Amino acid sequence: MHCLAATLWTNNVDRAHRVAQSLDVGFAWGEHLEAARPDQDDRSNDQPEPHVTAPYIVRIDNAGGADADLLGGKGASLARLTDAGLRVPPGFVVSTQAYRHAVLDGIRDQLDAAVAAVPAHASSDEMDAACARVRALVAAVELDEAVAESIHEAYLALGDDVAVAVRSSSAVEDSVEHSFAGEHDTYLWVRGVDEVIARVLDCWASMFTTRAMEYRRKAGLSGGGDAMAVVVQEMVEARAAGVFMTLDPENGDRSKIAVEAIWGLGEPLVSGTATPDSFKIDKVTGEVVHRSVVDKPIEMVRAEHGTGTATVEVAADRRETQSLTEDELAELLRLARIVEKHFGCPQDGEFAIKQGGGADSVYLVQSRPETVWSHRSVEKASTGATLMDSILSHLVPDRDAK
Amino acid sequence: MSDNKFPSPFEIETPPGAEGWQKMYNWYHLFGEERRELDENRFWFADRLHHPDVMHPYDEIQCECWWQALGAFNTRIFAMPPAHGVDQRILNGRLFITAVAAPAEDIPARAEEFAGRASHYYENWESIYIGWKAKVTAKLHEIRAIEFAPLPNLEPVETVEQHVGHSAGFRMVRDFERLVTTMYETYQYHFEMLNIGYAAYLNFFQLCKSAFPGIGDQSIAQMVGGLQVDLYRPDDELRRLAKEAERLGIAETVLDGSMNVEQLFERLSDDPNGKAWVADWNATSDPWFVINTDPGHPGGYHTYDTWADIPDIPMVSVREYLRRFRGGQNIDRDTAGVLRERDRITAEYRDLMSTEDHAAFDQAVALARLVFRYIEEHVLYIEHWMWATFWRKSKQLARTMAAMGYFDEAEDMFFLRRGEVTEAIYDLVVGWSVGTAPRGPGYWRPIIEERKGIFEALKAWEPPPALGPPPEEVNEPLTVMLWGINSDLVREWGQNDEGDGKTLRGVGASTGVVEGRARVLKHVSEMSSVQSGEILVCPATSPAWAPIFTRIAATVSDVGGIMSHTAIVCREYGIPAVVGTGNAVATITTGQRLRVDGNSGVVTLLD
Repeated sequence: MHCLAATLWTNNVDRAHRVAQSLDVGFAWGEHLEAARPDQDDRSNDQPEPHVTAPYIVRIDNAGGADADLLGGKGASLARLTDAGLRVPPGFVVSTQAYRHAVLDGIRDQLDAAVAAVPAHASSDEMDAACARVRALVAAVELDEAVAESIHEAYLALGDDVAVAVRSSSAVEDSVEHSFAGEHDTYLWVRGVDEVIARVLDCWASMFTTRAMEYRRKAGLSGGGDAMAVVVQEMVEARAAGVFMTLDPENGDRSKIAVEAIWGLGEPLVSGTATPDSFKIDKVTGEVVHRSVVDKPIEMVRAEHGTGTATVEVAADRRETQSLTEDELAELLRLARIVEKHFGCPQDGEFAIKQGGGADSVYLVQSRPETVWSHRSVEKASTGATLMDSILSHLVPDRDAK
Repeated sequence: MSDNKFPSPFEIETPPGAEGWQKMYNWYHLFGEERRELDENRFWFADRLHHPDVMHPYDEIQCECWWQALGAFNTRIFAMPPAHGVDQRILNGRLFITAVAAPAEDIPARAEEFAGRASHYYENWESIYIGWKAKVTAKLHEIRAIEFAPLPNLEPVETVEQHVGHSAGFRMVRDFERLVTTMYETYQYHFEMLNIGYAAYLNFFQLCKSAFPGIGDQSIAQMVGGLQVDLYRPDDELRRLAKEAERLGIAETVLDGSMNVEQLFERLSDDPNGKAWVADWNATSDPWFVINTDPGHPGGYHTYDTWADIPDIPMVSVREYLRRFRGGQNIDRDTAGVLRERDRITAEYRDLMSTEDHAAFDQAVALARLVFRYIEEHVLYIEHWMWATFWRKSKQLARTMAAMGYFDEAEDMFFLRRGEVTEAIYDLVVGWSVGTAPRGPGYWRPIIEERKGIFEALKAWEPPPALGPPPEEVNEPLTVMLWGINSDLVREWGQNDEGDGKTLRGVGASTGVVEGRARVLKHVSEMSSVQSGEILVCPATSPAWAPIFTRIAATVSDVGGIMSHTAIVCREYGIPAVVGTGNAVATITTGQRLRVDGNSGVVTLLD
């Protein structure tokens, strides 16, 4: 076996070993898709039960404790944020059940064949082309009446012709183990039910981008992707947006939150194409202990015709202005601390500041477990058994080494 | 860091007109060819914290006291494991110092000794400190009892009737020795508890830094401070006197700024309530207004008076408090609020730690709080009360000698080294005893004349921040904490010289970012010129500056670390501070717009 992770994409490591032993090279994913199918469940006992009677649509503010299996990572975290009383833009989740029904049940054979046709070697043109064929297949799925009708109803319930963000919410992304940061698609400023449905299909299809497929393969996850939910959420007309982390990513200091922000929508920051203002705030004292305000020459805003986004130049007098006010920073600190407490582990999340600004304009649009430092338990800082040992260890820093 | 070479002490030139300055200071305090090899390979930094100005020959005693006492306690008494003493040299009238590391091979054995010896103090801290106060108070009474007066033409008859058995001349010789010895002895006590106190504080500081690498120094200090300590009493007394003036119905008169204190007290004595207030002031003044006004370390020089000497200084503050009190403000210090905040942040940081650290954290914070009272209060007992009294008695001696015609003016005595003063007193006393003329007046006159010229010439010299090869890292914990000198700062010194002059770097000692106009003050007596909302730029502050902190938006000082007075008080008042910038007073002018970032320790000149 040359590389287990590169050739076997499965969410069950034991199973991967079993399968791997029977193969020299090759693909386990056809078989895996079988495994992922709710109606042919052969999962081991520690796998969650499939949502046989689960709904296609779940409202973010009425999720009834549904988890990532049904809502995807992002959808589940938004539901929990809302549950914690935090400010989250209203919306709903097109559940994994909808995906299973529409895609896995609807076009199973074609999908299995298309996925099986994706070649092994990474980053090749053939792989790109094969992935594109899988995506085209998924994006062209015809939704049955039941799923389409539920999406329609849920969308109308948000209001009249509301602009929404349509965001992929995979069942395995955003877990403590895998951030999947930016691996699946997001569509902003979407309007009208037909557009929303088209973007939901696009999100489903985005499970099969070359990039996402490779990420899954490297992470040892299912090649077929067993479940994808889609979040449909009211757009926040963002004056500024950014990310936060409930620890200092540079050194794991858990008494700090780190914040980065840019003008406009947060996408350029999340995708790494914009340099943000950055801040570190002490959780206990509320002091901004680090502050870097940079030149921000461009911002992503709603496109002029009202749907989609456009990247525009920032007016000269705003470019080097701090993108968050002190009130907004203080509010972010407050929210981040609640989020961390609520989820019980360090978090990494996204926010948007609604036009108009001020503390009550801070919306959370994402939160997930932080993946780097969270694996380490909080390290013991003290040294020595006694107070005097501790004093000596600080007077003579290399004493223990001697 | 080794790129930033500082000049060798042997390359430093004597400023024009200061030739022969070496004779003004004791030979053992100077760089010398005999030990050139040793001294040229050490890194010296200018101790602007204690000695921002040129030192008078007589005032060298201040340095000698701590040179020996600090060294003995670190090296010989507590066996501070990594550090021996702090060595000193005087160059062009300025003090340069360097920390002496203990030999690496001695450190394990020293650590063993230290553990036993320091534990004895930590375990008995409260009772030792009570004893310490008693010892120091006794010394204070002794030194206060010393009086110098012109020697009488004929001894009073009591000398005979009471069989005193010695002369007023002998007593002058003896009492000067007592004055010096008493001060010297008290400075031993100064270090008795100080560095082991800092070691305990350092333990807590480092524990917090390991648990939270990004924690602000000031947050750590906040968890330990906030106690009701004697150091804040002078300021509390000013507030109390302000409220008393209102209660006694004399506020209008007190607020009449057209009168100085002397005139005001005279006016007030026309009225019984006014009389009562003046009596209250005078009773308060000793000891609470025995507060030195030095720009550097309190008591560092003889040239600065105390609040008690210049009551117009505290009166500025009383008037300010009174105006605010009448304007309906609560002028009491919010001690309870500070303590509540201290307890809140302590509990919250503790919660963020690994539970395995809780026991160590609890012990460390308890010990740090225990020692902190001493760290804050010793300043009042030694730096203010003892030194102020020492200088007051020295000036009384100088006036006495001048009155007897030995010096042309009292100030002349301070141009003699203390050993020379011993000689001069003997010469004076012999002349008086024998009934003839001492040699001194004619002998000293040209020497003093020359030294006064040298002194002025030295003042014009701007010392480099450091001399000699900088070490890779400055990490001796006490140097870092007390003088605020660390690797980054030394690196900055190397760069500031070539910088654009637009930014100054120091130690962020109290958080917050503020923009405003600078008010550069070299001395606390200029305090009344400060307008509300200005940024104070000063050499350093002492409790004498207390009232200013309620008016200013931020503080920038030339010297000091996170435990300096400026740092402690700015945190108490919640205003940003950058300390230890090195040359803010020389660089910034009044009226210039500044941004003070108390988080990062950067001061930006905006104009």
